[in-house]
Amino acid sequence: MSVADIEAASTATSRAQKLSIRGLNKSFGAVHVVKDLSIDVEPGEFLVLLGPSGCGKTTGLRMIAGLEVADSGQIVLGDSDVTSVLPKYRDVAMVFQSYALYPHKTVADNIGFPLKVRGLPIEQRAAAVREAAAQVHMDDYLDRYPRQLSGGQRQRVALARAIVRRPSVFLMDEPLSNLDAKLRGYMRAELKHMQHELGVTTVYVTHDQVEAMTLAHRVAIMDEGVLQQIGTPRDVYDRPANLFVAGFMGSPSMNFIRGSVENGRFESHGVSLPLVDAAPGGDVVMGFRPEDAQVVDPGAGLFDAKVFTAELTGDVTLVTVALGDTSLAVKMPKEYEVDYDSAVAVTLPLPQAFLFDARSGQRLPARFAEVAR
Amino acid sequence: MTFGDPTQRARGSSGIGRFFEAPQIGRMSPASRLIVYSLLLFWSAFVLFPLYWIVITSVKLPIDVNDGPAYLPFIDFAPNMHAWRDLLVLDLAETVKPYRNSVIIALFATIACMLIGSMAAYALARIEYKPKFGTILLFVVAMVGASVSVGIWGVDWRLAAASAGAIFVLLARALGRRFKRSVGNGDILFWMISQRILPPVVTVVPVYMMFQSVRLLDTHFALIVTYTVVNLPIVVWLMYDFFSGIPKDLEESAQLDGASRLTVFYEIVLPLARTGLAATTLLVLIFSWNEYVVALFLSTTNAQTMPILVAAMNGGEKGVLWWKMCVVIIIMIIPVVLMALVLQRFISKGILLGAVKG
Ligand SMILES: Nc1ncnc2c1ncn2[C@@H]1O[C@H](COP(=O)(O)OP(=O)(O)OP(=O)(O)O)[C@@H](O)[C@H]1O
Ligand SMILES: [Mg+2]
Repeated sequence: MSVADIEAASTATSRAQKLSIRGLNKSFGAVHVVKDLSIDVEPGEFLVLLGPSGCGKTTGLRMIAGLEVADSGQIVLGDSDVTSVLPKYRDVAMVFQSYALYPHKTVADNIGFPLKVRGLPIEQRAAAVREAAAQVHMDDYLDRYPRQLSGGQRQRVALARAIVRRPSVFLMDEPLSNLDAKLRGYMRAELKHMQHELGVTTVYVTHDQVEAMTLAHRVAIMDEGVLQQIGTPRDVYDRPANLFVAGFMGSPSMNFIRGSVENGRFESHGVSLPLVDAAPGGDVVMGFRPEDAQVVDPGAGLFDAKVFTAELTGDVTLVTVALGDTSLAVKMPKEYEVDYDSAVAVTLPLPQAFLFDARSGQRLPARFAEVAR
Repeated sequence: MTFGDPTQRARGSSGIGRFFEAPQIGRMSPASRLIVYSLLLFWSAFVLFPLYWIVITSVKLPIDVNDGPAYLPFIDFAPNMHAWRDLLVLDLAETVKPYRNSVIIALFATIACMLIGSMAAYALARIEYKPKFGTILLFVVAMVGASVSVGIWGVDWRLAAASAGAIFVLLARALGRRFKRSVGNGDILFWMISQRILPPVVTVVPVYMMFQSVRLLDTHFALIVTYTVVNLPIVVWLMYDFFSGIPKDLEESAQLDGASRLTVFYEIVLPLARTGLAATTLLVLIFSWNEYVVALFLSTTNAQTMPILVAAMNGGEKGVLWWKMCVVIIIMIIPVVLMALVLQRFISKGILLGAVKG
């Protein structure tokens, strides 16, 4: 889906606001946590901020909420610059990584709190609370206190408290992290549907790439405070901008073979493959996804290797082969069986492989040529 | 029990084995329960006996007190309400006045102390202060300069205060830049509690002279102000801990929900700190209620408090009037016990359960 599609889809909801972050920086003492972060979130877009633990996702979100003051940069919501606006005037709702439920208030009072401080009459408030609670399937627990709920239930109350009013922006900090796999899958669908229905601009933080792929209109991938790539899930998966993104997206992660470009060919220990657009010589890394490759008989593939392990994970057999001291993962059908240490070869449709600059990590435009076997 | 637990099965479930074994984790075996309860019983008797003694002494005749110990009413001696009658009927006005003084002073001192102290503690727990050494030094110098010029050179105090203020404001930035080192919240907290290191007796004479010079001796106001100031460090110290224990996320979440700082304080912080508030209130109340040394110096007739009345039962040519003293002590204890019972309802553990994960 392109940005234009997202805009078209969201015109139905007039309240959706555009959120622009420009050149945001934040340091805690000597640690530069968020570096020059710039993102434009379209009205009604579901943007997922993805990155490993400690990369500055929460800090970025807190700056958007106004809970953390940016050292430099600008935050624009709709038509107004909110960089120095107090959190309570920003009209954003946030689901905290820690839920932050008010322990002395019942579920109903927790969900109704945003409406209460806005002075909504009590009957209207009760109706809105019931509706929001029903959306997260917590309407049977309205009289309970947070301490009487399970982790997943608390998380859902936190969600309900965010959706009970219609803010300009939803900020969600790993709101599904504490749920079991089944409930997480269910809530993921529920969330996606809800966001689509409400059409509220959403920034969603997670370090779970499956969540990112399934929920996002666009994914923004961060590492060590730096935005690595932003694009649709398909984009970042099929055209990773650099080694970090390539390795972070996908499970198991992409296979990498270090090598160099010599005479228009990729050369590595026991591997020699032709390239189409002759890349400048130098150290490079070849990358390909486990599901693109296949294990075949020795001599029948692009390069020979030795089987290290084969694991049945349920729907596939994950074969790990050793090429010199590099280990490569290959997804094979679940019926596939092979002996450890047996000699095999690996093959793959070469145009689906990537080439990265070994030093900068950037993906190179050069592609592999088709090899006739 | 269907599944006998392994230790029990190993030893067999003989009567003796059961006696020394806990039925569950967190429960006590009958043997340890016996020991614990006997110790507790002994300690309760130890603590409660003086109270018992006070109660029976208040209904003894002087002769029963002076002729050696008499332990049991109706058996060792005949109870007599003469001391109660003296204090609560004949000299009622004399008893009620210090009682009223005590109530007024303790109540207002506690309220003022809790209001100011908990706000200070909240600020220290949530806002990071970094006053520069230079600024603090300048403030002290300006204060001393102003006091000296008023006290010794007889400068008009308004002029002195205004010029000290002006000098401070003008030089604060420049000096602050010179002396970069600053103090933090921890230092401020320690400075506050350090005010209690001096024994009160040391400070009471200067305090006396201060109130003398503003002609406020023997007034409620003097005692209220003194008690407030003396108890503030304790309130700040204790409440700081309670406020720090409230997850910051809760307040931030409330802010994002649209609450103002004041709403956050009243809706979120105060209810969650109520255990601390109740405990601290009780502590401050008891301190102010029972305080003796300061009251002795600052009050003579009008503002006399109950502890002074108790002390007044001692001495004179008739010796100690034990029976009357005991009556006064009993009526002094009653309101504190009542307060404790009321405030106990607010003291609950686990109030923060369920707020944040982990
Ligand atoms: N208040 C703070 N003071 C000092 N350092 C902080 C503070 N908050 C965060 N950091 C640091 O900033 C970095 C980024 O933290 P942040 O919470 O944004 O990570 P995150 O991406 O949300 O990680 P996670 O996925 O584990 O939640 C971390 O190295 C953390 O130690
Ligand atoms: Mg985080």
